[in-house]
This record gives sequence, C-alpha cells and structure tokens, in this order.
Amino acid sequence: MSRKTERLVNLTIALLATKRYITKSEIFRTVDGYEGSAESKERMFERDKDDLRNLGIEIEVGSFDPLFEDEAGYRIKPDSYQFQLGEISSQEVSLLSLAAEAWRGAALDGSALTALRKLHAIGIESDLDSIPELAPHANIRDKNLQLAIAAITAKKRISFQYLNENLQSQVRKIAPYAVASQYGHWYLYGQDLEKGSLRSFRLDRIASDIQEEGKSGAYEIPESFQLRSQMEDSDELFTAHLYLRTGRALSLRSRAANSLQPSKIPGWDLVSLTFRDRERLIEELLWYGDDVVLHSPQDLRDEIILRLENGVKSYG
Amino acid sequence: MAKTQSSPISKAARLLDLVPYISTHQGVSLKDLAIEFDISVTELLDDLNTLWMCGLPGYTPLELIDLSFDSGFVSIRNAEVLQKVRLLTKEELVVIAIGLDLLKESIPSERGDLNGAISSLAEKIKGLIGDIAFVTPTVNSAHRAVILRAMKERKDLEIEYHSLIRDQVSLRRITPLELGEDNGLETLFAYCYQAKGFRTFRLDNFFDAQISEVLSEVSNESASRSEMFKAKCRINNRLRTTLERFRLNTASVSGKSDEEFSVESFSQDWLIRNFLSTLGNTEIIEPIELAKLVGEKAHATLDLYKNKVFA
Repeated sequence: MSRKTERLVNLTIALLATKRYITKSEIFRTVDGYEGSAESKERMFERDKDDLRNLGIEIEVGSFDPLFEDEAGYRIKPDSYQFQLGEISSQEVSLLSLAAEAWRGAALDGSALTALRKLHAIGIESDLDSIPELAPHANIRDKNLQLAIAAITAKKRISFQYLNENLQSQVRKIAPYAVASQYGHWYLYGQDLEKGSLRSFRLDRIASDIQEEGKSGAYEIPESFQLRSQMEDSDELFTAHLYLRTGRALSLRSRAANSLQPSKIPGWDLVSLTFRDRERLIEELLWYGDDVVLHSPQDLRDEIILRLENGVKSYG
Repeated sequence: MAKTQSSPISKAARLLDLVPYISTHQGVSLKDLAIEFDISVTELLDDLNTLWMCGLPGYTPLELIDLSFDSGFVSIRNAEVLQKVRLLTKEELVVIAIGLDLLKESIPSERGDLNGAISSLAEKIKGLIGDIAFVTPTVNSAHRAVILRAMKERKDLEIEYHSLIRDQVSLRRITPLELGEDNGLETLFAYCYQAKGFRTFRLDNFFDAQISEVLSEVSNESASRSEMFKAKCRINNRLRTTLERFRLNTASVSGKSDEEFSVESFSQDWLIRNFLSTLGNTEIIEPIELAKLVGEKAHATLDLYKNKVFA
C-alpha cells in the first residue's frame, strides 16, 4: 500500500524536477517502484498518471526528441503544479480560509480541508483580527452537489432520476454547466440532452445518485451561458397590485418596498409586486388570509375567489 | 471533518502537501502537524517515514528528502522540488468561490476594503474555473457567529426576529440551544423568554442578534417542548410542492390517489396558514376544529373580496 504512495510521490518529484521530457523507459529505469514485467509496469504507469490527474497534477506529454517521434516524453510543468493565485496578503489568506471553513461538516468538506491545508502551507499567518467575526456556513450535505461539481469541472455528461410534480421519477441526461443556490435551495443548470434546451433542476428533487456518462471534456460550456441572468430570467415577469392591511404581510411589504403607498381605503396600503409563477403567488397571498387582497390581475383574483369559495364550502 | 482510512492516493496527496507545510513551519511539533492534517500522530509518523524514502532518482542520501522528527518536532531539508504549495484543484476553487459568496452580504458596510478584497479574489477564481457556481446567502454570517459565540459562552441572545407565522417582527430574549436544519433552512432551537417555551427560529429571519448581558436562567425553568398540533389531509394537486411545504418526505409516498398524509407542527397557526395557502390543492380530513378555523379564515378573506371597496 505504501509502495504505491511512495511511487506516486517519486514520480511527481522526477517529473517536476526534469527540465526536458523524460521517456517511459527512463521512468521505469530510474523512478523507484516500477517493477515486474513490461506490461505490468506499463499498466502501473497508466494508472499512476490517472491518479495524479485526479489530484490536479497534470502530466504534460511531449516529444522528447524530434528525431525519435515514436517515443513520447513526460514532465510536470512547475507552473501547472504550484499555487496559482499568486502573491496574496495575510488578509486575503484569512478570507480564503474563512470561505473554505464554510464547508465544515457540509458536502465537499474534503476539498475544503485540502484547500485549507494548502492555504496554511503558504506560511503567511492569517490576519483574522482585521476581519469582523463571521461564521459562513454552506448548509448542504447532499453528496450530489459534489458529484455535480466534479462533473462540471471535468465537463462530463451526467444522468440522474428526477421527480416531477406528480412524484414520478424520470431519467434526465444533461451536460452540466453550473450550480447555484437561492433562498436556501440548490439548483443544477445544464443542457438537457434529450429536450435539447437549457434546464434547471432542484438538487433535492434528484432522486438518485448522479451518474457520470462518458469521458471528460465531452462538451464546452457556451459563452452565451450567463449563470446570473439564467437564474433571473427563466420565466416571464408579471406585475400584481394588492392591498395590504397596514402593518401586516411583512414579507410582501418588504419586497414591494419601493411601491408602497397608502390607499384610499383606511387601514390599507396599496403596493405592486412582480412575480413569475401564478400558482406560487396565489399560495403566498392566501398564506396571509384576510390581511391581503389582490386587486389585479383579474384572472388571478378570480382564481383566489374561487378557491376561497370552495374552502368556505368544504370547511365552513 | 470526516476521518477516513487514507487510500494510497490521498496519502500521496497528503505527502505532497506535507512538504511545503513543514518547509514554512520548520520545527512544528508532531502533535500540531497531526491536527493540521486531521490525522493521528501514528498515521503522521507513517507518512513521514514514507516521505523519507522519497526523492530524486538515484535515491542516495544526496537525493532523498531529509526529515528529522525524532525529537517530536519536525524539520525538512533537501525537498526543494516539492517546496512550492500545490495548486488548488478546480473543485477546491469552486468550494472557495462559494464560500466567498456566502461571506458577501455579511460584511458591515463600513468595511468596503473587505468587500473589495472578496470581489477581487472571486474574480480571480472565476477567471480560472469560469462562471460555474453562484450562491445568494440566506443567512447573515455575522448573526451565525454571534449565535455560536453565545452557545459557546453559555450566554443569552437579544434578537430581532421576523416570525412568518405571526407576521410580525419582535424583540426577544432567547437562550440558544442547538443549531439545526429543516428542509434547506438553517434553524436554531432555543428557549424564548417572551413565549415562555422552546421555539425553533429560522436563521434567515433574524434581523439582528446581540449577546445579552443578562444572566441565563433557562436551566431553572422546567418548561418542556410544547404540544404538537396534528392533522390528516389528502393532497389533490401539486403533490411534490405541497409535500415540501408540509416538510413531508417525498420518498415515503405510495402514489395512491386517496393517500392520507399526517402533518404536524408546534404551531397551530402554521397549519392554518399552510392549509389556507393550499386551499385548491389540499383537503383536511381531521381534526374538524382545524378545518373550521381554516374555513373561518377563508370566509373572512372572501368577505373582503366581495366588499365593494376592494373591487
């Protein structure tokens, strides 16, 4: 077991120290740990390369000598091995560390821990006194988040079971582009390979482990994909006008803050709100019962009245 | 963070990270080093013994990494090739990028310098991994820090809290007991002096939190968790969304059309408001008293809609 570890470290050192490409036969001859038949050495080396790549260590393949085209050479460029954020200040180290600390006990805490170690290894004392007391926390344990992020960074297609509104699960296949979190929910964005368009999926509605499908680098994320505008513009925006009982419906009130005005009806304010989803707005307004009256749009108002009438009929 | 048996690969990664760490912390104690790398001292010694066998091809003492740790303090020589801190993997960069997002809205406005530093780091990282992760924090990290400190120091908190159920913002004194999670929302279980009972607070509804100087007295109080309000209902429409709303597990659903669901809450108001919200989609089976209360509320609301003033 530790032979494998030793060999990986020795291979890294050898490939990192060399200024020229070194050939496989040189590696087998000089790097400690390659033993057995030619075939088994070959297999070992292929696996080692994959393992190092999974640690983020890229082995560059090149020609060692133009005259011997058939023999490929290998090396690790120091630039692709070492910390890439350049010179950073002690305050920046503190902020980066605090950001990684947010994952303690959450999904991806393994990556957070290795990132923290690297930050600490830089040897700059973090300057926590210069930062107010903050405790960020990534409130998610779903391991699909890690699987999704791994697939996105490797550009691997994925598939999973997704629950629709009737709780039937369907297989979805996507090229994943991004993850985002809003209002406490996590979403996965990607090109749906069967529907042929961009879709978003709520992570907690994925009913299976995310499966990788095929190789790395299978697609490119189009330049036109803008995560932030994707999060905002998924549906058309409508405007509703509503009456709020003075001092009540605080959430609606704060969302409509800039349109708030006292109405002609004593004890009631008139506000306007934008919304995308009819059903969600209806449910939200009904939550406040007799503290909210929708004025327009008329069709929504009719729907609310219908539901209230049915409610009075069944429960009255 | 999780302690698992190291695979040869993760062990190799750790060895590569040990070298730069020891190089910048020459003379670090075995104990501190084990804590930093979240492993036992035994495992650390095994790591160091392995690392000792590594070096440049040739593997004579001239090429091997030279470690000393017999004294209980670790120092390293002859490891120039590995001395640079390793680059952050893409996954590590995503983790940090999301962490920076979580910090953003918690920085006091007078600290523009910090916000600037956060944005420039975030931009740098985005340049390396692309625009692949974005988080809007729901909880203020400063509030969470105050709560954690109060719990550690066994102090009470003065909070300004927005209760969605009561539709009210109020000042309360609470004894924080336990942080938890409820369907993606962070919660704090606490004793509330205003309500004279144990309550669950949503962290995203905190407007302010301060350590209280008044001594906590909750341990003398014999209040128990309040009684649960229960109801049975059918869900006729929007099954998934409605189950999520009532905090029911979607995995346990049979899928039969007349399936009955049991819902419960510490707050009767919460049940009333949720059934009012889902008037079109749910049907209360029992208790009748709850159905009546929802019916009365619907009636009062309908009266407003029928009132000419609101036409």
